[in-house]
Amino acid sequence: MARYILRRLITLIPTLIGVTFVIFMFQRLIPGDPAIAMLGEHASEENVARIREQLGLNRPLFLDREALRNGDFAGFFDTQYIRYLDRLVHFDLGNSIHRRIPVAETLALRFPATVELALLAMLIALSIGIPVGIISSARRNTPVDGITMVGSLIGVSMPIFWLGLMEIMLFSVFLKWLPTGARLSTGIVIEPITNLLLVDSVLTGNWAGFKDALQHIIMPAVALATIPMAIIARMTRSSMLDVLQEDYIRTAHAKGLVEQVVLLRHALKNAFLPVITIIGIQTGSLLAGAVLTETIFAWPGIGKWVYDAILGRDYPIVQGGTLLIALIFVGFNLLVDISYAYLDPRIKYD
Amino acid sequence: MTEIAAKTPQDLKVADLTMREHRSLWGDAWRRLISSNTARIGLVIISVFILTTTLSHFFWDYNPKTDLDYSLKLKAPNLTPTAEVESIHPFGTDKLGRDIFRRVIHGGWNSLRVGLVSVGISLIAGGLLGLLAGFYESMALASSERIIVLSIAGLLLGALPAWIANQFFIALLFAILGGVAGWVENFQAHKPLRYILFALAGGLCGALPALLVSPSTALVTGILGLGIGLFLAMAVRGSIISNVIMRVMDITLAFPSYLLAIAIVAFLGPGLEKGMIAIGVVGIPQFARLVRSSVLSVAQKEYILASQSVGEGHGRIIFRHIVPNILSPVIVQTTMGLANAILSAAALGFLGLGAIPPEPEWGAMLGDSYRFLTSGAWWAVLFPGLAIMLSVLGFNLLGDGLRDALDPKMRV
Repeated sequence: MARYILRRLITLIPTLIGVTFVIFMFQRLIPGDPAIAMLGEHASEENVARIREQLGLNRPLFLDREALRNGDFAGFFDTQYIRYLDRLVHFDLGNSIHRRIPVAETLALRFPATVELALLAMLIALSIGIPVGIISSARRNTPVDGITMVGSLIGVSMPIFWLGLMEIMLFSVFLKWLPTGARLSTGIVIEPITNLLLVDSVLTGNWAGFKDALQHIIMPAVALATIPMAIIARMTRSSMLDVLQEDYIRTAHAKGLVEQVVLLRHALKNAFLPVITIIGIQTGSLLAGAVLTETIFAWPGIGKWVYDAILGRDYPIVQGGTLLIALIFVGFNLLVDISYAYLDPRIKYD
Repeated sequence: MTEIAAKTPQDLKVADLTMREHRSLWGDAWRRLISSNTARIGLVIISVFILTTTLSHFFWDYNPKTDLDYSLKLKAPNLTPTAEVESIHPFGTDKLGRDIFRRVIHGGWNSLRVGLVSVGISLIAGGLLGLLAGFYESMALASSERIIVLSIAGLLLGALPAWIANQFFIALLFAILGGVAGWVENFQAHKPLRYILFALAGGLCGALPALLVSPSTALVTGILGLGIGLFLAMAVRGSIISNVIMRVMDITLAFPSYLLAIAIVAFLGPGLEKGMIAIGVVGIPQFARLVRSSVLSVAQKEYILASQSVGEGHGRIIFRHIVPNILSPVIVQTTMGLANAILSAAALGFLGLGAIPPEPEWGAMLGDSYRFLTSGAWWAVLFPGLAIMLSVLGFNLLGDGLRDALDPKMRV
């Protein structure tokens, strides 16, 4: 097992190097000069040159062959990409160009908002998707099964930004039950501990704050939960159907066990592996930020932040945010692989 | 039963033959497809969308540039003329007084086109990459192929020392070295000896020409050349092709698809065609992975071994024997991919990165109008969104039906 994990970690290295390379190249490829983005259109040539010098933009991209020609080995590696990697190793993500504050600081503030939304959405998706999948597999080819499966197909086909808008239309505009954006109403204060507002308000016993935070998060969470919910329901169903054909299920029935016991203790346990894979991958992509949902509900998470930075050419934010997102994504895929190998003894590690 | 028994044996034979009409594999699949409700509904939805959008594109003139009428701004849907609004707008009008029904119909042309083109890009590029990766992972390279592959590897790797020394022909030297490495492999030379020889040759190829530039450059290119020579001597299995392709796919998959698409559009600039490319590129790894794993599963079959043993070429094996046998999952993935592409196109359009206004496109229409939702203009958001959902649902339903029809054992 340890060897398997080690091997997976080693195969990760080229991927991670590739990821940093792509992120670095992306910044260089999109049109526009960071120095001009910093100083504005009307900056003087000297100032632009000074900033370019400061940011190291006057250095070659990857390797300095001119320095090498003169026997300068340190200069050979003193390039933009190597400097970028060096800063990364020191957890220095740079400052936002427009707002002049460290990217890491904003990241620490914004990421909890995304985590809270993603976890609640996953919770909703699991608590509905799995039971629906089980019921629909137990009642295979009945109207119940048909309705839930068509329902889940509609869920998979849902443009979630539209679903979010429809929620706003119904619950905010017509019924006026729920607020349309942000994480909290103005005037409500929750003492920050984890920066997950729902958790913090419970920890501090701030029930008014909890209610307000819940009212704000529920619509985006439901919108975000729709697609994972549908996927999990379909996966649970098809995985259960496979297992329910096994001999030991017939044996369990023959022993006279109650249907629920057969379904939950015998079938679900074995059917759960592929579902776990899906859950892991979906959680990873939810944590990676949901730019559409965050845009519609003005949710201050990382998806919207990175998107705005791409449009505003705020390169340090784009680099830092994208790197975090890619790391989460890769990390969750790794976690899924390892847990799969751990949970299923039939899988050979090497 | 009694009827048959009454006939002579000869009659029976004839009757048997006529009763069993010829049924092809695809014919069977089609029969299974249209016998399922989900696929039928999907087919109907898709046909309706394709027919209305193409017919209206060619026979119902619409010029988005001249279409605006502020006096009809944000009017609710009406099916009969009213005192206020004399013209009929079944889906209402948007912020510029444009008829939403008309724009939904014409926007469909753009949305479906984006879906089709971008899936085409992912299918062709991803399919070819997956074929190569899967085939050469499971099969040894033919000697001519090995020479070509190693020459290309030498050329690409040699580009680095060539660039450092600013001498192009170094890359050519490494290409030749690669070719030799591929050719020599047949002679089963003593392994350590071969490694040492190639490493030395590589070092010389890198260092000697660079000496003309400067000693320090020659040192670096020499060390690089040593490594490249060693690699060329070792890398003779087909799996390097698969490894390189799949690692690149892994890197692409490390970014969430929406982010990658946004980044590509930011690089190329907004517009419908750029959106097609972005969505198409993002979809490549999925097709490559699917095709690779499908190829791996058929490559060990007896019929492939048989065609190899009668001396068929690799190209022929791939296109005559492998491709037809992996078509089913690819067809299903293509259908589902269409659904996804339409969804992504709408998302890009919604963010203002797709069709350039005033060009009608479903996602862009939503992005245009959602700010008016709080003032009660629900129709401007409801109908374009419904169009997206229904068309995506249509392709998903069809994909589901296709999966059951093409391979009853295959389930996701």
